[in-house]
Amino acid sequence: MSDANQHIEAARTAFAEAFGPFDQLALNGSGLAEAEAKLRELGELKVRHTGKKSALAEAKKMIGRVAPEERSDFGQAVQAAEKEITDRLEKAEAELNEFITSARIERERLDVTIPGRRSRTGHLHPITILRQQIEDIFVSMGYAIEDDREIETDYYNFDALNIPEGHPARESQDTFYTTGGFALRSQTSTVQIRAMERRGVPIRIIAPGKVFRRDTPDMTHVPMFHQIEGLCVDKGITMAHLKGTVTEWLKRLFGEETVTRFRPSYFPFTEPSAEFDFTCFVCHGSGRVSSEQSAASSEKGEDGGELLTAHSSQLTDRCRPCKGSGWIELGGSGMVHPNVLRACGVDPAVYSGFAFGFGLERMAAMMFNIDDIRHMFENDVRFLEQFR
Amino acid sequence: MNISYNWLKELIDIELSPEETAAALTRVGLAVEGIHPHKNDLVLDIDLTSNRSDCLSHLGVARELGVITGRSLKATSGSTAAGDELDAVPFPSVLAPEVVRVDAPELCNRFTARVIRGVKIGPSPEWLVDRLEALGERSINNVADITNYVMLELGQPMHAFDLDKLAEKRIVVRTARAGEKITTLDEAERELDETMLAICDAERPVAVAGVMGGFESGITEATTNVLLEVAYFKRENIRQTSRKLGLATEASYRFERGVDIENLIRASDRATELIVQLAGGEAADIVDVYPQRQPERTVRSANVASAVKRLTGLDVAADECERILSSLGIARISDGEYSSPTWRHDIAIEEDLVEEVARHAGYENIKDELPPAFGAGEYQTSEVRKRRLRGALVEQGFDEAIAYSFIDVRHDDLFAAVPEFLREGGEDKFVTLKDSVIEGSVRMRPTLIPGLLGALRLNLNHQRRDVKLFEIGKAFAASGMGELPTERELFTIAVTGGEVHEDRAMPARQLDLYDAKGAVEAALEAAGAVNCDYRPAEISHLRAGQSGEVVKDGRVVGTFGRLNEEIAANYKFKQPVYVAELDLQTILAEPSRPAVYTLLSRFPAVVRDISFLVPRSLTFAEVQSSAIGADATNLRAVSFVDIFEGKGLADDVRSLTIRLEFRSDERTLTDAEVDEEYSAVLAKLKNELSLEPRT
Ligand SMILES: [Zn+2]
Repeated sequence: MSDANQHIEAARTAFAEAFGPFDQLALNGSGLAEAEAKLRELGELKVRHTGKKSALAEAKKMIGRVAPEERSDFGQAVQAAEKEITDRLEKAEAELNEFITSARIERERLDVTIPGRRSRTGHLHPITILRQQIEDIFVSMGYAIEDDREIETDYYNFDALNIPEGHPARESQDTFYTTGGFALRSQTSTVQIRAMERRGVPIRIIAPGKVFRRDTPDMTHVPMFHQIEGLCVDKGITMAHLKGTVTEWLKRLFGEETVTRFRPSYFPFTEPSAEFDFTCFVCHGSGRVSSEQSAASSEKGEDGGELLTAHSSQLTDRCRPCKGSGWIELGGSGMVHPNVLRACGVDPAVYSGFAFGFGLERMAAMMFNIDDIRHMFENDVRFLEQFR
Repeated sequence: MNISYNWLKELIDIELSPEETAAALTRVGLAVEGIHPHKNDLVLDIDLTSNRSDCLSHLGVARELGVITGRSLKATSGSTAAGDELDAVPFPSVLAPEVVRVDAPELCNRFTARVIRGVKIGPSPEWLVDRLEALGERSINNVADITNYVMLELGQPMHAFDLDKLAEKRIVVRTARAGEKITTLDEAERELDETMLAICDAERPVAVAGVMGGFESGITEATTNVLLEVAYFKRENIRQTSRKLGLATEASYRFERGVDIENLIRASDRATELIVQLAGGEAADIVDVYPQRQPERTVRSANVASAVKRLTGLDVAADECERILSSLGIARISDGEYSSPTWRHDIAIEEDLVEEVARHAGYENIKDELPPAFGAGEYQTSEVRKRRLRGALVEQGFDEAIAYSFIDVRHDDLFAAVPEFLREGGEDKFVTLKDSVIEGSVRMRPTLIPGLLGALRLNLNHQRRDVKLFEIGKAFAASGMGELPTERELFTIAVTGGEVHEDRAMPARQLDLYDAKGAVEAALEAAGAVNCDYRPAEISHLRAGQSGEVVKDGRVVGTFGRLNEEIAANYKFKQPVYVAELDLQTILAEPSRPAVYTLLSRFPAVVRDISFLVPRSLTFAEVQSSAIGADATNLRAVSFVDIFEGKGLADDVRSLTIRLEFRSDERTLTDAEVDEEYSAVLAKLKNELSLEPRT
């Protein structure tokens, strides 16, 4: 019996001695590799002290051999020893594993604030963005999109538009001519004629496209720009339809609260003629903005042309896009001149129609607060990437 | 046009404040752009449309206010009331031939002259100086100021000669002789030609009709006898002369837009009255040469009110229509016929009457209505595909450019145009502008490439080294034989630098030819243009050995590659630039093909990768097509895996790895079957291209 107890005692002592360094692991400050080495060491120690060839295993085998009356006590002693050993092993093991797991997490910790990986996205030209928006609106209103030649005969650029030879608009120095005697179209109204010839009437089209005028480039002028022309010819079309249509698409673009204003004007290809304005999309017609708004619009950030909404604070500063007038002058319009209808083989006694046109660069410059219209054709990426 | 508020009040009794006056005028189409104070007066700055020459005077603006307020014009001192009577001066005046002879009545429709003897030239009184200065005119002397004053009041330009400087003291109105010279009031010598109308004395021109008087016959302090010319000239002729001489004056501005031929006597009387009053002297009878009275212009309209309703939707009562028209001087002659006033050159048809009524009834009273529903809207047939193409490029990091359509002549012949576009030959294959507003830029671009290269240069100058640009736009080519030029929509890209990642400062890697080509492929695919082949080609603006053409359905539709050294040097590009240009119009003329579904195979595929050493002149496409042609019925695809060159390889070869994919739709292929077909492919490549697999 004492032999057997001695054996247990010896196994315990040997374990206690070997386990010494694991009792107080003091892992603080140690590295992952160190902890992993300790875990391996602990594994070996476990095999040595609890494995088949361990003193503890020997003691277990002895249980059957001690005297029956002592067997129970001995058995309990062996169990107690085993429990003590495995408890200590497991505790150390758990402590090491926990340390290793968290050390691994630390080692593989990522900086989630670093920008995600994605190729740079490009940008459409602001003129394309605006053109597509306006095309979408008109297509939904039942209009067809048209375009045609950029170099035209005088007939399409002038005569058919009721600008006969000798007319001031024709003799002005505005038009570019080729050495072959053709004109670079000076307005998209040429498409009115081409489209009516091709499609006949009734007709509802808008025609976006490039036009050319002999202006030397400066902050507000460019020799090439984009216009959108609208044309609607049918029986019973009146100026009320012109006003309603222009108001409708401006509302769809700038919001329900937009109001339009028509002023009498003169264009050779319309009679009566009108220029149209709309209430400023920044100040909504008041001409005044709060100082925060004007600061925001002058230091506009990445959002480029974000539309600003009216503020409840004091409206003290002059609004920029409308220059304080509350109105933005956009384009020209009117009822198609009977001579234009006749030139397209349409009887003005039966049909009437309206037409309107406006420049996209000027509109984009106002919407996006662009100070120099020449930027539109320089293709400076710093400019282009501000729009989407 | 500057209009004095005080002056207006002398012509019409209005109770409107200056601001109200401005608003009222703007409402009817005389846009007041600003109100500026001058001493005790306010000056309205009116932006007139070119058809309203009748409002280039205080009388004209007052007439509009008369319609607005319903008040009639006041009689100006002396003249107005007498106007009608004076129109009845003996015709032609018995004195006329002695003083005035008109040799060109088709260009000078009416000419009046009046001699005033014994005037004393001197400074103008303060009220006159003030009034001219308020409107931005400089005071010269009393007689010259009066002619200006009456022009501003009544809209009729006039000219005062020193009678004693006129040879034989007479006037001959004729066209100038070629090369005839005159020194005008601005002391410039001007050469006339036979299209120009000249006011002459017995010997030589003393004024350029309707444009500017002569220096030598002008009024000086020594002048005592004045001949006052008040005339009407053909509008187109004055415009032409003013253009040719490069000389635009207040007078020519009014004459070319049209003055009132029936207002000459009144204007002459008004000026005469003021001259006698301020400079003394005695006026003789007026000489009026009016060879052919202009026929009255009339406008037919069966029912103005219903025409107004038909064109504007406005309900304006018939008597209100009549009131507006008659206040404007548009008199109803008979049922359905109106006279067009002699001062309104823009009233000719019923629609003009409609505008007059509508603008005074107020455009703000026209309702907003939408036309009745019509049909579905439609985009241009190519628009949907172009939007997809744009989208694909934007996704790939391209920014969209728009460059001017005219480019510098120095780009001529440096760039190959898209096929079947430019004709053979010299400069005449290009479309050229007569002149440009940008130095040298007279060519309508035959290619979009120079525009994009210019943009790359600009961006490099701003330290943007990694740039991808594309443009969709028209190029132009002459067609010859007086035909309109050919316009062709192209799609062009230019790339340089590295592949940029969003929000990351360093590019991931440098771009190369395959990035440019990949963008073209993606764009074409997005646009629904399938079946495109790419093959090596020598292109003048591209570097030999790094350039190719795009072939669609057997037709070359574009080029791609690296910009050649010479052009790169012109632009001072120090990093490689890749460009591609495609004939988008031709590509999109073909309908996009619908997708075709093929059965998904239930049997696995077997793939074999294989590498060869290939000479640099042998292309992947050739290897691929040779392999596909092998006797291997289950070979489904030959695809590109990798190409390697450099280290460990001779300079003239590359190592190409391709993948062969074998599959049957009927069964799982056995190793033996695959081996057999694989060997067949190898044999074909060996026989045809002398390729041996690398081990
Ligand atoms: Zn505003």
